[in-house]
Amino acid sequence: MAVYRRTSRPRFTLLLLVLTAITLLTLDERSNGLGVIDTARDGARDLFAPVKDAADAVFSPVTDFFQGAVHYGDVEEENARLRAQLAEREALALRAADAEREREALLDLAALDFVGDIPTVAARVVRSPASGFDLTIELDRGREAGVAKGMPVVGSGGLVGRVVDVSRRTSIVQLVTDSSSSVGVRLAASGDVGVAVGRGSGSTLRMDLVDPATKVEKGEAVVTSGLQNSVFPPGIPVGRVVAATTASGALQQDVTVAPAADLRRLVFVKVLQWAPIR
Amino acid sequence: MTRVRLPFLVFVALVLHLSLFLAVRVGDAHPRVLLLMAVGAGFLAGAERGAVIGFGLGVLADLFVQTPFGLSALTYALVAFAVGGFQSGIIRAAWWIPAVTAMVASFAGVLGYALFGSLIGQPYAISVHLVAVAAGVGLMNAVLAPLVVPAMSWALPSGADRAFAR
Repeated sequence: MAVYRRTSRPRFTLLLLVLTAITLLTLDERSNGLGVIDTARDGARDLFAPVKDAADAVFSPVTDFFQGAVHYGDVEEENARLRAQLAEREALALRAADAEREREALLDLAALDFVGDIPTVAARVVRSPASGFDLTIELDRGREAGVAKGMPVVGSGGLVGRVVDVSRRTSIVQLVTDSSSSVGVRLAASGDVGVAVGRGSGSTLRMDLVDPATKVEKGEAVVTSGLQNSVFPPGIPVGRVVAATTASGALQQDVTVAPAADLRRLVFVKVLQWAPIR
Repeated sequence: MTRVRLPFLVFVALVLHLSLFLAVRVGDAHPRVLLLMAVGAGFLAGAERGAVIGFGLGVLADLFVQTPFGLSALTYALVAFAVGGFQSGIIRAAWWIPAVTAMVASFAGVLGYALFGSLIGQPYAISVHLVAVAAGVGLMNAVLAPLVVPAMSWALPSGADRAFAR
């Protein structure tokens, strides 16, 4: 009997823990962002934010050194790319005045509503994705700064993602590459609309619903469509087409889009204080 | 005094995890120090206590991610329980055993996390990329194991570290 107790108790404890975990998973699933678990998460983040800020300041030399060491090749490559871009931009600057006139004319023509008119909240990224399963980032601005759930977030290159959780002083942004993210988009040249779906960390987006007859060029810009009930305003750059193929007999093209924003190196972003028009 | 050691160590580990280890990443792999502590708990305290401590560490980890709440708790508890069961069969504790255990258990932990996640409807695919990430996490945790396992041995009440003490 004693032998039975010694061998069965750990398994009984494990069973209790597994059942508790399943209960927590169920509670989280059922609460839909409003329950005690989300309150606990928000509270933990708020409570920990000052400690984390202090620790970030202490460890930043170490993390900067590591990032530099690991990504040295990338940094060199980026340096060369930026130099090339600078030269290109200098040339472009000469044509900027003319381009601006053309842009205003196009605006008048199409009566488009641009992101520039939408109020924004600048925020610093204080946490990069915690794992390949959780492609979210944390920002140092929350409800106090006017951030609300559902607001679009943009970076220097284009669309970054959408706010999925807000506490008093921080907010969580789901990146466009997250496998549960989907963005209504439009091909800039053809005007065809579709849905850009995330594929997970380090990868591209997949654009669905593109007609096989549509001519899709490599490098073609993809922007948010802003169709009715869209959660993103129209005209925000999402990325560029890197490949487009159509399988024999397929009802849609297989379009691959590289995100416009460099999601691996986000430092500052802007939250657009924009809500969809219902 | 010994009762506050574990909460203190967990707090320090959480600060290091959120501020340092999340930035120390190669590709998508970075050290998962809370998972490593769960492994250490199983290794030092045995299957039952290890699973309880692992569960607690998992709940804490779940507070700081947006994945389903309880997924880390479930995974860490099972990993700690398995490690605890494994260590009970060890006759002589060689110096390299904690590091190798940490590597294998962390690898299995990352894959297990994805597997459980996919079972409850999360879009996690078991892919070559995921296996590479799990291997990276395993290697990084193995490097940290010689620091974290003795720290866990210090933090856990005496008598819990039978396997590590030589």
